[in-house]
Amino acid sequence: MTREKFISEVRTCQGQLRRFLASLCGDAALADDIAQEALTRAYVTSGRFIGNFKAWLFRIAYNCFIDHLRRSPGPSVDLDSREAMRLTGGAASDASFELEELQRALALIPEKERTAIVLFYFEDLPIKEISSIMGSPAGTVKYYLSVGRNHLKEHIRQ
Amino acid sequence: MKDIEQILREGKPELPDEGAFLIETNARLSKVEGIKQEVDGERRRGRRALLIALAAGLCVGILLTLLVLFYPIPSFTENLSALAKAASALQSHKAFLFIPVAGCAIALSLLLMNKKGEVL
Repeated sequence: MTREKFISEVRTCQGQLRRFLASLCGDAALADDIAQEALTRAYVTSGRFIGNFKAWLFRIAYNCFIDHLRRSPGPSVDLDSREAMRLTGGAASDASFELEELQRALALIPEKERTAIVLFYFEDLPIKEISSIMGSPAGTVKYYLSVGRNHLKEHIRQ
Repeated sequence: MKDIEQILREGKPELPDEGAFLIETNARLSKVEGIKQEVDGERRRGRRALLIALAAGLCVGILLTLLVLFYPIPSFTENLSALAKAASALQSHKAFLFIPVAGCAIALSLLLMNKKGEVL
């Protein structure tokens, strides 16, 4: 794949990529760092790429996120940080509160459930594509979605 | 209280548009251009080595099969029962000999190509 084609493909999905990683990390700045690392890795190995570019890129980004967790397995980002607040948007106060609660709850559930939830509800991806991104069977992804929803419900009610 | 699925569908976060993101991406890609060319070159060399190894293995396998078919070894192992049985088994299945021979030739060629690649 030429550099021009690569940049053109990245341009169409960079917003979704950054949003996906920001929802996983809870920190927009960290998400952008991981996104840059993922894009660099993707470009170097783009000679072997065949198929769905977005799913392939998201797979690399997800692996970069996992690598980051392994390198620094600290506690989740403080949701009162400015970076986290940027994610909630500027809606009316009730909706804004709901978004804050959702972001807070997302940071508390396990990483695999969070990934499945973010990819299904925020990125509107089908189960099959989520399965290829996470490297888990479709049945397992459905399980993560179901359990993730239940965990979110518990955290939001608290 | 809203259904959790409704909350999730309405709770899609929006990030501020950062034009600087693509600018930085471009800068990083320029830095790794050399590495990419090296990786692509390595991949091309590997593919070429594999094709050569396959062709070499098939040729060696076919040659040896023809050799066995047209120049069978005379049986002088009648006194040694185990060896006689092995020779007899090979004689009766000689048409399939080329498969393991080709396999060994391919594996050997791949190993030699890999070694050559490491040296280069």
